[in-house]
Amino acid sequence: MAIDEDPEGNEDAAFERAGLSFLNCRVLEIGCGDGRLTSRYAHRAASIIAIDPDSEAVAELATALPGVDTRAVSIQELSLPPSSVDVALFSWSL
Amino acid sequence: MVDALRRAHRMIAPHGMVVDVHPTAAPPPVDVNGRAIGNVVTDDGIERHAAADAAIPAVVNDGLFALERVIEFDFFTYGDTIDELRDYIVENWRDARIDDDVVQRTRLALTEVPPGVRPRVLERVRLTILRPRRSAT
Repeated sequence: MAIDEDPEGNEDAAFERAGLSFLNCRVLEIGCGDGRLTSRYAHRAASIIAIDPDSEAVAELATALPGVDTRAVSIQELSLPPSSVDVALFSWSL
Repeated sequence: MVDALRRAHRMIAPHGMVVDVHPTAAPPPVDVNGRAIGNVVTDDGIERHAAADAAIPAVVNDGLFALERVIEFDFFTYGDTIDELRDYIVENWRDARIDDDVVQRTRLALTEVPPGVRPRVLERVRLTILRPRRSAT
Protein backbone atom coordinates (compact mmCIF):
# COMPACT_ATOMS: atom_id res chain seq x y z
CA MET A 1 0.00 0.00 0.00
CA ALA A 2 1.41 3.36 -0.96
CA ILE A 3 -0.45 5.79 1.21
CA ASP A 4 1.49 8.99 1.58
CA GLU A 5 0.66 11.38 4.43
CA ASP A 6 1.69 15.02 4.20
CA PRO A 7 4.50 14.58 1.64
CA GLU A 8 4.55 18.38 1.35
CA GLY A 9 5.74 18.56 4.96
CA ASN A 10 3.09 21.14 5.89
CA GLU A 11 2.76 19.78 9.42
CA ASP A 12 6.51 20.03 10.04
CA ALA A 13 6.50 23.52 8.56
CA ALA A 14 3.66 24.59 10.87
CA PHE A 15 5.56 23.31 13.92
CA GLU A 16 8.64 25.16 12.72
CA ARG A 17 6.69 28.40 12.16
CA ALA A 18 5.33 28.08 15.69
CA GLY A 19 8.86 27.63 17.05
CA LEU A 20 8.05 24.16 18.38
CA SER A 21 11.16 22.00 18.39
CA PHE A 22 10.60 20.36 21.83
CA LEU A 23 14.38 20.54 22.29
CA ASN A 24 15.27 19.07 25.71
CA CYS A 25 11.61 19.12 26.72
CA ARG A 26 9.73 16.54 28.76
CA VAL A 27 6.83 15.77 26.45
CA LEU A 28 3.54 14.06 27.15
CA GLU A 29 1.93 13.12 23.84
CA ILE A 30 -1.78 12.36 24.10
CA GLY A 31 -3.22 10.26 21.28
CA CYS A 32 0.14 9.20 19.91
CA GLY A 33 -1.25 6.38 17.73
CA ASP A 34 1.57 4.55 16.00
CA GLY A 35 3.95 7.47 16.52
CA ARG A 36 3.72 9.28 13.20
CA LEU A 37 4.17 12.62 14.94
CA THR A 38 6.32 11.29 17.80
CA SER A 39 9.07 10.19 15.44
CA ARG A 40 9.46 13.74 14.16
CA TYR A 41 10.63 15.19 17.49
CA ALA A 42 11.75 12.13 19.49
CA HIS A 43 15.44 12.76 18.85
CA ARG A 44 15.21 16.27 20.32
CA ALA A 45 13.07 15.75 23.41
CA ALA A 46 14.57 15.03 26.83
CA SER A 47 11.89 12.45 27.50
CA ILE A 48 8.56 11.36 26.06
CA ILE A 49 5.53 9.71 27.59
CA ALA A 50 3.27 8.69 24.71
CA ILE A 51 -0.25 7.54 25.48
CA ASP A 52 -3.13 6.19 23.41
CA PRO A 53 -5.98 3.82 24.26
CA ASP A 54 -5.19 1.84 21.08
CA SER A 55 -2.84 -0.82 22.46
CA GLU A 56 -1.87 -2.17 19.02
CA ALA A 57 -0.79 1.26 17.81
CA VAL A 58 1.10 1.89 21.04
CA ALA A 59 2.90 -1.44 20.61
CA GLU A 60 4.00 -0.36 17.13
CA LEU A 61 5.35 2.88 18.52
CA ALA A 62 7.18 1.05 21.33
CA THR A 63 8.92 -1.14 18.75
CA ALA A 64 9.85 1.75 16.49
CA LEU A 65 10.95 4.10 19.28
CA PRO A 66 12.12 2.00 22.22
CA GLY A 67 13.30 5.05 24.17
CA VAL A 68 9.75 6.36 24.48
CA ASP A 69 7.69 5.56 27.59
CA THR A 70 4.53 4.19 25.95
CA ARG A 71 1.30 3.52 27.78
CA ALA A 72 -1.98 2.19 26.36
CA VAL A 73 -4.22 4.49 28.36
CA SER A 74 -6.35 7.59 27.88
CA ILE A 75 -5.52 10.86 29.58
CA GLN A 76 -8.40 10.18 31.96
CA GLU A 77 -6.58 7.04 33.11
CA LEU A 78 -3.13 8.60 33.29
CA SER A 79 -1.65 9.60 36.61
CA LEU A 80 1.42 11.83 36.60
CA PRO A 81 2.83 14.10 39.31
CA PRO A 82 1.97 17.80 38.97
CA SER A 83 4.36 19.86 36.82
CA SER A 84 6.09 16.73 35.57
CA VAL A 85 6.11 17.63 31.85
CA ASP A 86 7.00 20.72 29.85
CA VAL A 87 4.73 20.03 26.88
CA ALA A 88 1.36 18.32 26.65
CA LEU A 89 0.84 17.56 22.97
CA PHE A 90 -2.66 16.61 21.88
CA SER A 91 -1.88 14.73 18.71
CA TRP A 92 -5.07 14.89 16.66
CA SER A 93 -6.82 13.66 19.79
CA LEU A 94 -8.61 16.51 21.57
CA MET B 1 -12.32 17.69 25.99
CA VAL B 2 -12.29 20.50 28.52
CA ASP B 3 -11.60 17.84 31.14
CA ALA B 4 -8.64 16.56 29.12
CA LEU B 5 -7.21 20.08 28.98
CA ARG B 6 -7.72 20.51 32.71
CA ARG B 7 -5.87 17.26 33.35
CA ALA B 8 -3.04 18.36 31.07
CA HIS B 9 -2.89 21.67 32.96
CA ARG B 10 -2.18 19.82 36.20
CA MET B 11 0.65 17.84 34.61
CA ILE B 12 2.56 20.64 32.88
CA ALA B 13 5.12 22.85 34.55
CA PRO B 14 4.29 26.57 35.04
CA HIS B 15 6.61 27.48 32.16
CA GLY B 16 5.20 24.70 29.99
CA MET B 17 2.63 24.61 27.24
CA VAL B 18 -0.19 22.69 25.66
CA VAL B 19 0.07 22.09 21.93
CA ASP B 20 -3.12 20.94 20.28
CA VAL B 21 -3.24 19.71 16.70
CA HIS B 22 -6.58 18.68 15.27
CA PRO B 23 -8.54 19.00 12.01
CA THR B 24 -11.06 21.78 11.68
CA ALA B 25 -14.73 20.92 11.41
CA ALA B 26 -14.69 21.40 7.63
CA PRO B 27 -15.61 18.18 5.77
CA PRO B 28 -12.43 16.80 4.13
CA PRO B 29 -12.69 16.92 0.33
CA VAL B 30 -11.45 14.21 -2.01
CA ASP B 31 -9.37 16.03 -4.56
CA VAL B 32 -7.91 15.28 -7.99
CA ASN B 33 -5.39 17.75 -9.33
CA GLY B 34 -6.83 20.55 -7.22
CA ARG B 35 -10.49 19.81 -8.06
CA ALA B 36 -12.77 18.73 -5.22
CA ILE B 37 -14.78 15.66 -6.24
CA GLY B 38 -16.74 15.06 -3.04
CA ASN B 39 -16.22 14.79 0.68
CA VAL B 40 -15.15 12.11 3.09
CA VAL B 41 -18.23 11.21 5.12
CA THR B 42 -17.81 10.92 8.87
CA ASP B 43 -20.43 9.80 11.35
CA ASP B 44 -19.45 12.29 14.01
CA GLY B 45 -16.19 13.85 12.84
CA ILE B 46 -17.60 17.31 12.23
CA GLU B 47 -19.26 17.43 15.64
CA ARG B 48 -16.17 15.99 17.34
CA HIS B 49 -13.83 18.52 15.77
CA ALA B 50 -16.26 21.36 16.47
CA ALA B 51 -16.33 20.28 20.12
CA ALA B 52 -12.53 20.35 20.19
CA ASP B 53 -12.65 23.84 18.66
CA ALA B 54 -15.02 24.92 21.42
CA ALA B 55 -12.91 23.44 24.22
CA ILE B 56 -10.03 25.81 23.53
CA PRO B 57 -11.91 29.11 24.15
CA ALA B 58 -13.66 27.46 27.08
CA VAL B 59 -10.41 26.90 28.99
CA VAL B 60 -9.09 30.31 27.92
CA ASN B 61 -12.25 32.07 29.12
CA ASP B 62 -12.01 30.05 32.30
CA GLY B 63 -8.62 31.65 32.95
CA LEU B 64 -6.80 28.34 32.95
CA PHE B 65 -4.75 29.03 29.83
CA ALA B 66 -3.66 31.95 27.69
CA LEU B 67 -3.92 31.55 23.94
CA GLU B 68 -0.44 32.08 22.51
CA ARG B 69 -0.67 31.14 18.86
CA VAL B 70 -2.89 29.54 16.23
CA ILE B 71 -1.63 28.30 12.88
CA GLU B 72 -3.66 26.52 10.21
CA PHE B 73 -2.25 24.29 7.51
CA ASP B 74 -3.33 21.79 4.85
CA PHE B 75 -2.65 18.10 5.48
CA PHE B 76 -2.92 15.90 2.39
CA THR B 77 -3.20 12.12 2.34
CA TYR B 78 -2.47 10.56 -1.06
CA GLY B 79 -3.22 7.11 -2.43
CA ASP B 80 -1.97 5.55 -5.63
CA THR B 81 -5.61 4.84 -6.48
CA ILE B 82 -8.96 5.96 -5.12
CA ASP B 83 -9.67 2.38 -4.01
CA GLU B 84 -6.49 2.39 -1.94
CA LEU B 85 -7.39 5.75 -0.42
CA ARG B 86 -10.96 4.60 0.31
CA ASP B 87 -9.72 1.43 2.04
CA TYR B 88 -7.13 3.33 4.05
CA ILE B 89 -9.70 5.80 5.35
CA VAL B 90 -12.14 3.07 6.36
CA GLU B 91 -9.39 1.21 8.21
CA ASN B 92 -7.58 4.12 9.81
CA TRP B 93 -9.97 7.01 10.32
CA ARG B 94 -12.61 6.91 12.99
CA ASP B 95 -16.07 6.17 11.54
CA ALA B 96 -15.24 7.62 8.12
CA ARG B 97 -15.73 6.54 4.52
CA ILE B 98 -15.69 7.68 0.91
CA ASP B 99 -19.06 6.89 -0.64
CA ASP B 100 -19.28 4.88 -3.87
CA ASP B 101 -20.50 7.79 -5.99
CA VAL B 102 -17.45 9.84 -4.98
CA VAL B 103 -15.22 6.86 -5.74
CA GLN B 104 -16.78 6.54 -9.21
CA ARG B 105 -16.47 10.26 -9.94
CA THR B 106 -12.87 10.22 -8.74
CA ARG B 107 -12.06 7.33 -11.07
CA LEU B 108 -13.53 9.35 -13.94
CA ALA B 109 -11.64 12.49 -12.93
CA LEU B 110 -8.39 10.52 -12.87
CA THR B 111 -8.88 9.62 -16.55
CA GLU B 112 -8.96 13.32 -17.39
CA VAL B 113 -5.66 14.33 -15.79
CA PRO B 114 -2.04 13.62 -16.70
CA PRO B 115 -0.61 10.23 -15.71
CA GLY B 116 0.92 10.23 -12.25
CA VAL B 117 -1.69 12.48 -10.64
CA ARG B 118 -2.84 10.77 -7.45
CA PRO B 119 -6.13 11.21 -5.62
CA ARG B 120 -5.85 12.83 -2.22
CA VAL B 121 -7.87 13.91 0.77
CA LEU B 122 -7.40 17.36 2.23
CA GLU B 123 -7.74 18.09 5.92
CA ARG B 124 -7.51 21.65 7.16
CA VAL B 125 -5.65 21.38 10.46
CA ARG B 126 -5.34 23.86 13.31
CA LEU B 127 -2.31 23.99 15.61
CA THR B 128 -2.90 25.84 18.87
CA ILE B 129 -0.44 26.75 21.61
CA LEU B 130 -1.75 27.42 25.10
CA ARG B 131 0.22 28.59 28.14
CA PRO B 132 -0.91 27.86 31.70
CA ARG B 133 -2.13 30.92 33.58
CA ARG B 134 -2.98 29.69 37.05
CA SER B 135 -3.41 26.58 39.12
CA ALA B 136 -6.31 24.34 38.23
CA THR B 137 -9.21 24.40 40.65
